[in-house]
Amino acid sequence: MIDCDYLRPDNLEEALGLLKEHGPRATLIAGGTDVMAKIRNTKKTPEVLVSIRGLKDLKYIDKRSGYHIGALTTHRMLEQSELVKAELSALHDGASRVGSVQVRNVATLGGNICNAAPSADTAGPLLVLDALVFMEGPEGIRSVPITEFFTGTYKTVLKKDEVLTEIKIPGEMEHFGSAYWKHSRRKAMNLPILGIAVSLKLEGEIISDVRIALTVAAPTPVRANKAEDFLKGKALSDEALNEAGKIAASTECCSLRDSLRGEAWYRGEIIEVYVPRMARLAAERIAQRRSK
Amino acid sequence: MPDHLFVGKSVPRTIEADKVTGKAVYIDDLKRPGMLYGKILYSNHAHARIKSIDISKAKQLEGVRTVLTGQDIPDVRVGFLKDQTVLKKDVVRQYRDEVAAVAAISPEIAEEAISLIKVEYEKLPAVFDPFEAMKQESPLVHEIDARGRPLKSNILPLPWKFETGDMEQAREDSVYTSKDTVSTTWVNQCCMGTSGCIAEFDQNSNLTLYDQTNVIFGHIGRITEYFSQIGLRGKKIRVVNPVVGGSFGTKLDTDIYEFIAIQLALKTKKPVRILFDREEEFQALPPRQPAVFTIEQGCDKEGKLIFRHCEAILDNGAYTSWGATTPSVMMMPMSSLYRVPNVYFKATCVYTNNIYAQAMRGYGNPQATFAVETSMDTLAEEAGIDPAEFRLINRNRPGDQTPMKLKITSCGLEECIKAVKEKLNWDEKQGKQNGRGVGMASLIHVAGGARVTKSDGHGIMIKLDEYGHVDVIESGTDQGQGSPTVISQIVAEALGVRPEDVFLTFGDTALALWDAGTHASRHTFMAGNAAIGACAKAKRQILEMAVEQMPKIIKMGLKRKKRKDPEFVEPDLDFGLIANPEDLDIRDRMIFPKKEPDHPYFNLPLAQILQNGLLVGTGQSKVVMAEEFYDPPTEMLNWEMKGNLSMTYAFGASGVEVEVDEQTGEVKILNLIAAHDVGKAMNPTLLLGQIYGAAYTGVGYGLTEEIKVRNGRVMNPSFRDYQMLTAMDVVPIEVVIIEPIDEAGPYGAKGVGEPGLVPTAPAIANAVYDAVGVRITDLPITPEKILTALKEKK
Ligand SMILES: Cc1cc2nc3c(=O)[nH]c(=O)nc-3n(C[C@H](O)[C@H](O)[C@H](O)COP(=O)(O)OP(=O)(O)OC[C@H]3O[C@@H](n4cnc5c(N)ncnc54)[C@H](O)[C@@H]3O)c2cc1C
Repeated sequence: MIDCDYLRPDNLEEALGLLKEHGPRATLIAGGTDVMAKIRNTKKTPEVLVSIRGLKDLKYIDKRSGYHIGALTTHRMLEQSELVKAELSALHDGASRVGSVQVRNVATLGGNICNAAPSADTAGPLLVLDALVFMEGPEGIRSVPITEFFTGTYKTVLKKDEVLTEIKIPGEMEHFGSAYWKHSRRKAMNLPILGIAVSLKLEGEIISDVRIALTVAAPTPVRANKAEDFLKGKALSDEALNEAGKIAASTECCSLRDSLRGEAWYRGEIIEVYVPRMARLAAERIAQRRSK
Repeated sequence: MPDHLFVGKSVPRTIEADKVTGKAVYIDDLKRPGMLYGKILYSNHAHARIKSIDISKAKQLEGVRTVLTGQDIPDVRVGFLKDQTVLKKDVVRQYRDEVAAVAAISPEIAEEAISLIKVEYEKLPAVFDPFEAMKQESPLVHEIDARGRPLKSNILPLPWKFETGDMEQAREDSVYTSKDTVSTTWVNQCCMGTSGCIAEFDQNSNLTLYDQTNVIFGHIGRITEYFSQIGLRGKKIRVVNPVVGGSFGTKLDTDIYEFIAIQLALKTKKPVRILFDREEEFQALPPRQPAVFTIEQGCDKEGKLIFRHCEAILDNGAYTSWGATTPSVMMMPMSSLYRVPNVYFKATCVYTNNIYAQAMRGYGNPQATFAVETSMDTLAEEAGIDPAEFRLINRNRPGDQTPMKLKITSCGLEECIKAVKEKLNWDEKQGKQNGRGVGMASLIHVAGGARVTKSDGHGIMIKLDEYGHVDVIESGTDQGQGSPTVISQIVAEALGVRPEDVFLTFGDTALALWDAGTHASRHTFMAGNAAIGACAKAKRQILEMAVEQMPKIIKMGLKRKKRKDPEFVEPDLDFGLIANPEDLDIRDRMIFPKKEPDHPYFNLPLAQILQNGLLVGTGQSKVVMAEEFYDPPTEMLNWEMKGNLSMTYAFGASGVEVEVDEQTGEVKILNLIAAHDVGKAMNPTLLLGQIYGAAYTGVGYGLTEEIKVRNGRVMNPSFRDYQMLTAMDVVPIEVVIIEPIDEAGPYGAKGVGEPGLVPTAPAIANAVYDAVGVRITDLPITPEKILTALKEKK
């Protein structure tokens, strides 16, 4: 049985006030799909739950000089957004594969990122979309690039008295095509064995810019910088993509582990196979958008 | 064939409305006055000596009513081979060993109390591999047997051996042979409702056990025996089902938690409920029995099977439940799937410090069929014969008697194999190894009961009230299989009422006659036959009543008419038409003469006859009730493991088309054909439900499901990590129904509960081979295994 205080502020100011008031005794809860699971699994209940579900104005997907997504936007909203599907395809791929429809209806993008699981399905997409994470606390608003947001497994730069408010994706991402592959055994209700996200920009057949991110490949979601460097400026060819896949799967880019869900060698194989496949898909999506 | 009003029709499942609206009372919802909540403390080690147990803190916790350890209850052995006690007090032999138990006023307090119990262990050497466990130098899981005699080996004293023909000669006569080693692992039954019971004693120490089980009468013998050793000899035991949330084989045995609930209830003199959470369900419920088979087969140059030789090793785990008896069913496909004259099968069960196993849908058949059907494909290839053709050559036929002395009556195997071939476009697709492939496998299963105890009976009682409502007191259970619908269709048909007039009561040993259990795909067959028998008796009573009452009612009616209308000319009626019960019939709630069903006067509502028969005035009122106890003329297996244990057998074939990603090893099922000989489709929609469900479970068994046991511990005790397929993972499936109308079945029906699962996994394995040329002989067929095999092949 869960025995704790449940506070439900109506606005951000109030929420910040409550976080300050209760300090380390408080835990923030959004959709609760991680928080509640953790309470059950660890059999430890926080003394105070501060629910931010009432903060309705943190629920939005906007495009104005870049893409602005409120922290409380649910995965289902991302899944059903034509804008996200067309222009931030990797994020669409990731959000649509979280849990099940029931989970996606309540689980939020902010929660996915703040929970900072190495397997978070939106982490890879946000990494290849150059996302900026906005946080608000007693000292005001600050932002960090998503590459700096994760500091360890289930750890972020977020302070106990801060609330993640928005994810911003720069406007130039409009010119990128992107894709995310969640490698899992089931089609729903599953955590990935591995996640691969790729975004790229083409000039003719030349890959003028590219980002590759891997999840469940290291203690935090990571960018495969070496593989990106290798691809940049090269023509989109099987040879180049396969080589990039090999580099991404190497210890230069990730530290694969054996776990119950998958063995390291198999994870490596999947990276090698899916970096090229996702790059191809990202390129196809650019072509599709142009033809529209 | 007479045309049926209800049998063979897709009558909807109305009873389930309570389930989908949350009204149904499962064990989770059931509360008894003053009820306490029980919780079990399990072992922390796979094999260890218990040095001390400190329960003092747990006892002091407010709200705790009792804390029990092995020291507090009689040291009585229970289980199939009596190889364990209810609470373990000296040694634990597996992680799920029950060490202590608590009863408290809330589940939370019980759980907290459990966490306050401190146990000190001294680790003992453990063994987790059955092959290791068979070696002389292996640590012993048990030092003594049930009678206290010292044991020298981990091999169980179970006689699972079947032999027929001349193996040496057969080997010589064979032109082609093949040999394979195949293995299967633990999988969980995954019932939506987790295990649970409430034990409640009255002041005279008689027990009522509210229990999530499909074998209500099975408990009585085992608990009676237990009672006789704990000072409760002769006490009455009543087992009652709440709404049962699935079975799939789980509840064939009386589990340890049930004995613990009984002990907690005895001690506290309160009803005590134990309800598993999902982690417990994965860790402490005996799953499907794993096995390793080494199978050899040989055939002549035309492809006719000459011999089959198979040795199986079963990891028994630390104790023995029904898992250890699955070889008795494995013998059926081993000896009788396809015609094979010379057969040797031996199964050895070995103690290890792993979890122990129980029954699950198919009861050993899925494992054994995986072995047989893998071997069928490798031998077909050896002989250069198309695998489908090879199966047709060796198919069972109606009228066969198999080496196990099974008498095959109706048999639609040929039609099933041919249907699979046609639907898959087999001849065009087979043998390409181009990343896409087709594969098939067949099955045989008991479908007319299974005489595993000396009675394979099923009793039914029916009674009618004066409004024509029929109460049926079933001795079986309803765990969601659709029996309330199918049995009411049968009763409606046999009695002449409508399905909505029929009300079934399941799962109460105090009301019902007796039943061997709702397992072995036997319920529709057994209960159906019993219902037909009971209905015949009840119908006779009704018609006798009708013979008395009809003329009176009709004559009165005519008189009344005459009074109202003096012009009315009374017709000259031939009452001879309704003078004998044999001349009358009932259909759709009306009673009428057989010779003139549309007679304008001799057509009366059943309810009117029943009312007139009951409300006669004085001295001679009657009610209608009848019972039938149906026990078919089948045989127990003899010491040679031979005997016709079922009235009829189900056959079927599964075919799948797959696409294999050669870079990742992933398998995509493009098409699944399930062709089944069902005797008669009693309710086509329900039948499809059974086959879809079973086939999908078979897909999970083939591709994803696996309880990962590492050094004796279950590592994935949740639906997050245990890869049961979801609704999003369904594959395209087409069911082909073959209806050879079996003489012994109710309206020709055979059992279908288990068959759909059995051939699915081997069909997938065979299709994978056909797609990419690697044969995975270890379930589940994971992408990792395929990729590894592909790399080795290169
Ligand atoms: C059945 C099930 C299936 C799942 N499947 C997947 C899956 O496939 N892929 C996947 O990636 N995840 C999955 N999850 C995990 C979870 O649903 C996601 O991580 C989800 O996005 C979390 O969002 P939430 O709003 O529910 O977070 P919550 O549980 O409310 O919070 C998660 C964490 O983030 C913090 N937090 C939340 N919002 C903020 C904020 N605005 N500012 C600061 N801190 C905040 C909370 O304090 C907490 O530490 C699954 C969970 C369940 C229960």
